[in-house]
Amino acid sequence: MSEATVSIADTAVDPPRPVAEAAGRIPGNIPIWVGILSEMTEFAMMFIALFIARAHYPELFHAGPLRLNTFAGTLNTLVLLTSSYCVAKAMQAIRRDARRACVRWLWMAVVMGGLYLVIKTWEYHWNSSQGIHTDTDLFFTVYYYTTFNHMLHVGWGSAAVLWAIAGVKMGTFDRENHAGLEAVAVYWHMIDLAWIIIFPLLYVWR
Amino acid sequence: MFERFSIDHIWLFLMLLTLISAALAETATPGLLTTAAIATIIAIKGRMIIDRFMELATANRHLRFAMRLYFYVIPLLMVMTWAFPEVIARFTRLH
Repeated sequence: MSEATVSIADTAVDPPRPVAEAAGRIPGNIPIWVGILSEMTEFAMMFIALFIARAHYPELFHAGPLRLNTFAGTLNTLVLLTSSYCVAKAMQAIRRDARRACVRWLWMAVVMGGLYLVIKTWEYHWNSSQGIHTDTDLFFTVYYYTTFNHMLHVGWGSAAVLWAIAGVKMGTFDRENHAGLEAVAVYWHMIDLAWIIIFPLLYVWR
Repeated sequence: MFERFSIDHIWLFLMLLTLISAALAETATPGLLTTAAIATIIAIKGRMIIDRFMELATANRHLRFAMRLYFYVIPLLMVMTWAFPEVIARFTRLH
């Protein structure tokens, strides 16, 4: 009885080191990386579908980008990259315990996320005024499916950054304990990574 | 690869590469070279974000490998789609 108690206590104090940890520090936590890798796989499926569609209908994929608003696409890329930069700066700030600066950088990231959504919504309206719809042709079906899916990610990613702001303000995240904030940060960077592929595939590549 | 640059510099590089992409969209003649240039820019931007913003350059090697590999494979598939569209179309035809 006594030996069993000691054994359980020992295990609780000194748990075995996870195999994953031996490969190096995991930014954030393991569950967020399961999500990130799953979503990157989902986006990869969309990109492969685009490549196959392009191989079958090259003329549609040469003509399609010419009708899109390159300015809106470029602006959104700059906005998303800047939001990722803000999140990276927020991580630097929390590590030196500059919580107010961290919150400020996170708010800037949220504003950039909101700006992205505004520009994308305006772009969809502009498309509509140019006679571009989801069923215009296969290129635009792929364009709407991919960009709308990504837009949803920006929406809930922004909500996650808001949650992180609340965490920093309430003191849940600080210099020593910020794995949850870091999980939000790497997720936000994943959203940015997906867009830096989507932008050239749909707006630039003709 | 980008460890010696601060994240402020990385952000500026990313912005610059985006503007180069936009210039390519407006001016470049479609072709294999343009496709290769666009694919290379994707690979560089991806590597910058993975290594510096996500901080995977100094973190878990399995995650670093998986994420870096993604940004080799997708640009490579892009170039292959340009170079061999008939082969891809033949292999993916349903009937």
